[in-house]
Amino acid sequence: MRNSIPTAALSEFVNEVAGDPEEGIMSYGIEIDWESGTRARSSTKPMLVGPHKVSRSFTWKADEPRQLMGNNHGPNPQELLLSGLGSCMMVAFVAGATAEGIQLESVKIDFDGELDLRGFMGLATNTPVGFPEIRYTMHVTGDGTPEQFEALHEKAVKHSPNAQTIINPVALSGEIIITEIED
Amino acid sequence: MTKKPLYGDATSQAASRNHGGWINQLDRARKSGPFLDAHPMDSMGMSTKAVHAGTHDDPRTGAVGTPIYQASTFILQEETYGSIEEGFGRDRFIYTRYGNPSQWAVQEKLATLEGAESAIVFSSGMAAITAAVMALVDKGAHVVAASDLYGGTYNLFNQEFPSLGMSATLVDSYDLEAIEAAIQPNTQILYFEVITNPVLKVVDLPALVDIAKRHNLRLIVDSTFAPPPVMKPLELGVDLVVHSASKYLNGHSDLIAGVVCGPRKLVDMIWPRLLNYGGSLDPHACFLLERGLKTLDIRMKAHEASATALAEFLETHPAVEKVLYPMLPSHPDHARAKELMKMGTGNVTFFVKGGDQAALALMDHLKLPKQATSLGGIESLISLPFNSSQATMTARQRADIGIYPGCVRLSVGIEDAKDLIADFDQALNAISTMKGAA
Repeated sequence: MRNSIPTAALSEFVNEVAGDPEEGIMSYGIEIDWESGTRARSSTKPMLVGPHKVSRSFTWKADEPRQLMGNNHGPNPQELLLSGLGSCMMVAFVAGATAEGIQLESVKIDFDGELDLRGFMGLATNTPVGFPEIRYTMHVTGDGTPEQFEALHEKAVKHSPNAQTIINPVALSGEIIITEIED
Repeated sequence: MTKKPLYGDATSQAASRNHGGWINQLDRARKSGPFLDAHPMDSMGMSTKAVHAGTHDDPRTGAVGTPIYQASTFILQEETYGSIEEGFGRDRFIYTRYGNPSQWAVQEKLATLEGAESAIVFSSGMAAITAAVMALVDKGAHVVAASDLYGGTYNLFNQEFPSLGMSATLVDSYDLEAIEAAIQPNTQILYFEVITNPVLKVVDLPALVDIAKRHNLRLIVDSTFAPPPVMKPLELGVDLVVHSASKYLNGHSDLIAGVVCGPRKLVDMIWPRLLNYGGSLDPHACFLLERGLKTLDIRMKAHEASATALAEFLETHPAVEKVLYPMLPSHPDHARAKELMKMGTGNVTFFVKGGDQAALALMDHLKLPKQATSLGGIESLISLPFNSSQATMTARQRADIGIYPGCVRLSVGIEDAKDLIADFDQALNAISTMKGAA
């Protein structure tokens, strides 16, 4: 199996979804519980791959460094955002390379992002709250040509759900349910 | 350069490469198999399929029937290496744990009989069940299964599952509300036996299919007590069918084997579990199973004929308290049996007056049935749940699943009904005159 991905099964799945779009609908969810201070615990909810349920028994914690009033018990939400973005681009890159018959030796994506906390703090009206820019460098070794890798990089970003979610406007719809403290 | 032969399913080829494209240009689609050769038999009858499906005469010698490919390994060539690299090694011959022509022959026969796209044979029914279940569960998964499961399957859920961080809730297979109530957010599969052992409950499969669909679950059923001439659960919407092939499928009480049948998509997910857990079926056992399967349909007719006659006789005998045979109107599931079962089987469970002691005495007085566990063989087999299949349960636990004192588990073979009736008549009369017997 090239890159530990069965191309035959990938091809069969793509063709299955082409004929039966319901099989290509993925439903995800996570729950985040406040633990203490800036620390929160995320747990995956069961996922649906098409109409089929998959148990997802994973949890992790996020925290802020002490300088930001936390205890540094885990990666912070910005790091987790970059991790989710980069891991998704990685899946797309490796799947694309495999489909094209490229044997990869190593792939590393190095991310950097800078944000101005004055936005979060409400100190400056014209400072963006979020990352104005996310920079990354992809380091690849494998038997593809430089042209193939360039094209693959472009296609990986174009087909990465998380990259596309970050690049494009996305509706964030939420509500709050308030439970009063009983005396 | 002469073109080398391809060792495997020639219809299975790598996805073609279109450089510069994306994964949507991969053109390999899923298909039935892997099979040795095209052999369409869809419109044929059950007995024709049993004889001919999957059985390919030897192309080199003209020998009729499947040769026994008693080989552990196969000549590798460029094409084979390519199949491994491209991820369709299941469709080529590499190593017998991965696949062997003797396995493929009997797998094609079984898939055809069950109306499945694909099948894998295993070295036991439990190897098949474990591989099928483990292919469809993930870390933290939960399973809803029947409370009166076969002991081996019960042990998988009760002993192995907790060690793997998974859990199962066992519920009465009649109680559809309890089944639905047992479903948790992390439930992935429903696991039931289509006809239970030993009280021969006929499970409401269409209702289970409906529950599974509504909750996005996969439904696996063990159809050991209802081989394809009796029931084809895949046609009812079940996801996977497993069998202990040691029973009716082989039919001669001379080998241990199992099988999983279902859509190619799911059976392909089970194949890596076969490789990892290792329960592959030896080529010689495949030959025996293939040979046994050729008479499956006519054997089932003989089992049904003798079992029906014997069950009717037992119902009239004064030493017998109650008879459970789904095709008799006295069985609580008779209506469902008529709806779901195309024919009866050889399994008859009955209760003798005088409890377990009378049942033990009955077995000693019988001359034809062998006092042995298992079922589905050409010879009648008889055993008592209280000291064999359900011996680890308390009397109360047994009663909870309908096993009351005096319960006899009988698998009627293909012997002539009149001989079986005469034998049971003399044995029942002998225990009726015993001191203290009712």
